[in-house]
Amino acid sequence: MNSALLPVSLMSYVGLSAVIFFIGVGGVLLRRNPLIILMSIELMWNSANLLFLAFARVWLNNAGHIFAFLVITVAAAEAAIGLAIVVVVFRRTHHVDVDDVRLLKG
Amino acid sequence: MIANPYSGADWNAVVPLSIVAVAALVVLFADLVTPKGLAKRWVPVAISAIGLAGAAFTCGEGWGHSYAAFGGGFMVGGFATVFQEIVIVAALLSVAIYAHVGEDENFSGGLALLLWSTSGAMLMAGAGSLMTIFLGLELLSLALYCLCGLSPRATAGEAALKYLILSSAASGFMLYGMALFFGATGSVALAALAGQAVESNALFLCGTALFLIGIAFKLSLVPFHVWVPDVFQGAPLPVTAFMSVVTKAATLAVFARFAYAAVTGPHAQAILAPVYVIAGISMIVGNLGALAQTDMKRLLAYSGIAQVGYIVAALAGSTALGLRYAIFYLAAYTFMNIGAFLVVALLSTSKEEGSALAAYRGLGRTRPVLAAAMVLFLLALAGLPPTAGFVGKILILSANFDAGYAWLAGLLIAGTAISLYVYFKIVGLMYGRHERPHPTEVRPVAPLAWAGLVACVLFTFVWTFDPLGPSNVLPLVK
Repeated sequence: MNSALLPVSLMSYVGLSAVIFFIGVGGVLLRRNPLIILMSIELMWNSANLLFLAFARVWLNNAGHIFAFLVITVAAAEAAIGLAIVVVVFRRTHHVDVDDVRLLKG
Repeated sequence: MIANPYSGADWNAVVPLSIVAVAALVVLFADLVTPKGLAKRWVPVAISAIGLAGAAFTCGEGWGHSYAAFGGGFMVGGFATVFQEIVIVAALLSVAIYAHVGEDENFSGGLALLLWSTSGAMLMAGAGSLMTIFLGLELLSLALYCLCGLSPRATAGEAALKYLILSSAASGFMLYGMALFFGATGSVALAALAGQAVESNALFLCGTALFLIGIAFKLSLVPFHVWVPDVFQGAPLPVTAFMSVVTKAATLAVFARFAYAAVTGPHAQAILAPVYVIAGISMIVGNLGALAQTDMKRLLAYSGIAQVGYIVAALAGSTALGLRYAIFYLAAYTFMNIGAFLVVALLSTSKEEGSALAAYRGLGRTRPVLAAAMVLFLLALAGLPPTAGFVGKILILSANFDAGYAWLAGLLIAGTAISLYVYFKIVGLMYGRHERPHPTEVRPVAPLAWAGLVACVLFTFVWTFDPLGPSNVLPLVK
């Protein structure tokens, strides 16, 4: 491991990415609007990206960069599908709030 | 010119899943050129079945020729082959259900998504690096989100939304765990995690916790199981049947590879212990949850939570025998669980899926063959002789005692006792003295669904011999 390669210390990257990750987790748990929840999920995924990039620099291993690209690509596909599903649900309820989504229970 | 870093053997490794993925494209193309009418349903189904059969065949060729392709990113042979074959068989049976109850609108689209999802699961089964695990997992899940929503019923959109949000959040946990693994070792290979030096690394321990949360979610182990009944009930029937086996089998392959090949230090069992604890709790909670259900899909969702608890419990102690028995039980579970879903499919009318428990009242007289098949599957799920479920449970019990996890064996027995009540309630409903006019609508004969049902019945009976040699099944990560 070679931390000297980073202009900012590794711990700052890890700390920042952890903060972003927990903001994402908080958003998923607390917000009621599916669009905000999807954004929070993106935050969780992208905090992992930040970590991959920081570690890729430290370990001098490009696999981290490639992994981050992979995650960005998959996240784009996921967002497209997520928005489509939100639209489908919205067409039925004319209102987007996860509390109103409760036909399934038992 | 840059030399091609990959040899023919590397590309051969991914032939089975390429066949499945290409079959999905052919399905979509065939849909454009077939004329309207019955061919619109049968041509795509035939193409999917041929594609899956081809994949099963080419995948079987890899048996006994174990090697690591793409620099350790993808494993071929042995363990991976077994899981891939289980996934393919489950997909074939789901296609049989889909051929019977799939809605005409978006018929081939749904079939194509089912195949792509299958190829993602096959990728997970052979994944040897964090990247392939993530790619396979997302390929499996993204197709499933769409499949859950592909139905005009109001509940389908809701199931899709719930699954999307919770599953993506779980993927987020898993991904963050993978990033920490990468930080701990500087490599994306699972094999790099093996060894004593990594085990005491704080990054590795935090990563393991997050990674295992993601795994537990996808496996539907207890604190992370609340989405399962809702999604299973809301999703279309073939998708529910597919999810109930394929997601679990693929995730189990990843977990087994992780537990056996990546966590190998002296404290390995302590690190993995929380998973076995929640597996034990799942057996109890899953069966208790099934008690109150009035919908067959929900009931099977809860019973699936318990069943996956049994399978994970077999891995406790990371013994070679335990892995063998887990695979045996998983194969048996594939047939008995999808068999139960096939009965539900054959009971469906065009208006409603035959999943309301009330529809089973007096079934023993109105549809004696289906009722008898259902009894067999329920006996197998409960773990009673003469079925593969019984043999599987005895094997898991013995594995638990051998590995020193007697408390898990105790929980397994307690869970089974509760489940007996759940399953016999349905048997009582089918053969009890109730009078209820059965829905008279007779759907067109479904040769594929019946063939699937016969296969499931046969295998639930016959799957009592053990076809897996121990040396072939050991994880191949090195």
